Amino acid sequence: MVRLMPALLQGAVITVELAILTFVICLFWGLLVALAQSSRGTLAWVAGGYVQAVRNTPLLIQLYIIYFGFSMVGFGLSGFMSGLLALCIQNGGYVAEIYRGGLQSVSARQYEAGRALGMRRWTLYTTVILPQVVARVIPPMTNQAISIIKDTSQVAAIAVMEMMKVAEVWVESSANTYDVFAGVAIIYLVLTSAAGLVGKAVEHRLAFAQ
Amino acid sequence: MKMFAPLLHSYWYLFRGAGMTLLMAGAAVVPATALGVVLALVHVFGRRPARSALQVYLFVVRGIPLLVLLTFVYYLLPLTGIDLPPFWGVVVVMSLYYAAFMSEVFRAGIESLPQAQWDAARSLGMTRHLMLRIVIFPQALRLAAPPFVSLCVSLVKATSLVSIVGLWELTMASREVVERTLAPFQIFLGAALIYFCICYTLAMYGRYLERRSLVGH
Amino acid sequence: MLAMSGVVKSFGANRVLRGVSLSVATGEAVVVIGPSGSGKTTLLRCINLLEDYEQGTVTVDGIPIGYRIDPHTGQRLRMSEREIAASREMIGIVFQSYNLFPHMTVLQNIVAAPIRVKGVPRAKAEARARDLLALVGLSDKAREFPVRLSGGQQQRVAIARALAMDPKLMLFDEVTSALDPELVGEVLAAMQQLARDGMTMVVVTHEMSFARDVADRIVFMEGGVIVEEGKPDQMFSAPRTERVRQFLKRYNDRYRI
Repeated sequence: MVRLMPALLQGAVITVELAILTFVICLFWGLLVALAQSSRGTLAWVAGGYVQAVRNTPLLIQLYIIYFGFSMVGFGLSGFMSGLLALCIQNGGYVAEIYRGGLQSVSARQYEAGRALGMRRWTLYTTVILPQVVARVIPPMTNQAISIIKDTSQVAAIAVMEMMKVAEVWVESSANTYDVFAGVAIIYLVLTSAAGLVGKAVEHRLAFAQ
Repeated sequence: MKMFAPLLHSYWYLFRGAGMTLLMAGAAVVPATALGVVLALVHVFGRRPARSALQVYLFVVRGIPLLVLLTFVYYLLPLTGIDLPPFWGVVVVMSLYYAAFMSEVFRAGIESLPQAQWDAARSLGMTRHLMLRIVIFPQALRLAAPPFVSLCVSLVKATSLVSIVGLWELTMASREVVERTLAPFQIFLGAALIYFCICYTLAMYGRYLERRSLVGH
Repeated sequence: MLAMSGVVKSFGANRVLRGVSLSVATGEAVVVIGPSGSGKTTLLRCINLLEDYEQGTVTVDGIPIGYRIDPHTGQRLRMSEREIAASREMIGIVFQSYNLFPHMTVLQNIVAAPIRVKGVPRAKAEARARDLLALVGLSDKAREFPVRLSGGQQQRVAIARALAMDPKLMLFDEVTSALDPELVGEVLAAMQQLARDGMTMVVVTHEMSFARDVADRIVFMEGGVIVEEGKPDQMFSAPRTERVRQFLKRYNDRYRI
């Protein structure tokens, strides 16, 4: 098993790259979508439709549409970029829902109390509402990060050499199946646990800061 | 519209694929739910060794992608000599995978019931078995229904992964059609639409259950 | 009929009951008063082992509840879950937060335990339930769900539910503390009727008027021990302990006869 670790770890690097990029992009993109959803009119409707569309279709299909579909139209994206795009589109929807839940859960009373104290809207949002939203949003975001790490494995279907694909290649060339998958499993567990621990740490830091 | 001609020719094939998707999901949901309930009870009432084993199981299953587990079993099963048709192989894997998530959902339902309900039931002389049957479970399951339906939606979407290990369902069917017609955009979009119809319906049912559970509490 | 002896209970490092002994005779109504945190509620909950306690024993009509003393070794042994469940049938308890089962109707709430725990036939259990509902003045609410009833009504259903098991002893844990003032009267009236009918009861309450009018004996607790006990007249007009005098001063000042 020691022989194949370097190769697996190389795949893991791609996995991690995909995961981190997706997570960071979704933090911003998801926020935009959530804000769009809470506005009024066509924008809210479109944003809502987008979220429903990605939540009710499998990531794999979205991957195929982007990878194969776009190259048909002439706009071929590499495996990595298709994967990244699909992951961002899918998880953007989920992150938007997390933000929405966080915004809604901070009681309307906090808003009223702030206004009653004479705060202007901007101050109110930045000093009262947003810190609470951030605190509430961290646990589901941590879960989403773990979910993203696991989703990167599907990118193997479009031949990106992240860890899952590397494993497949090795197994095909008749390396010891058990060893390969034990290695893969261990690395995924390390990655997802790390994400979980980071999430907990961030939660604690913020709890003290409040 | 002419662009969608390939889809119009093949939609029936895709529907058959969807049928297989539903069959697979249906076959996995039942054992997953049953096992999920059992594991939730172990988590709440079990003794330390059982609970520790359960924690390990949950950690492993929730930290590893389903695709890895599916592929693992796909390559491994022939080697162990167990003669299981691939369909049942993936159903077993998916059941075990989703049982973990379901057990957490059921556990949350049980634990979110106020201590007062347990106190009242115990004070009336009910044994644990009776308490669970007529007081705790009816309430816990009502609370757990919305996230449970969410997991079912997730399970339906997850069936798409079995296409990667070569099993036939909607995603595989659409890949076949794409290979034949070379019209990936339309076909995969069609498949997405079918998935959407199935999942959205389930999700709506989940939201209906959520609203219903708020009434009367 | 109820005998608690040397009950000691701690929550972590906090010793809430420091060796409490209490006896209640058949048909006696004992009211327990005292400041918050004195251990009154914990004491009540120890009687039917809703709270586990480290030392002491409780017996009802000579039958031990929760822990028995082995006659040979003198050791204190915990009884089996089945025995504990069976002994709880003798004791009825009504909680501050009613604790009705929200997914069952009023009638179902009352008959659930008699049918399933005692094996009473459904028809008989329902007839008895209706009698009890009449007793507490809620005959027309049998098919309602608890969420549609007021706090006072829910509490009266809770009393009926406890009575349906034909308990020998009734425990009341601050049952009116969570109610709107205007609903308190109906519940206290029901309890007063029970006392007159000869039910043995232990009542934890802040309602001093009830204590004075209904109790056969008043027990004052503070800091996990019984500080003083005696008949209502004596406790209210001439308490032996300064602490009791202080505690009752506000009530006496306001309602001086």
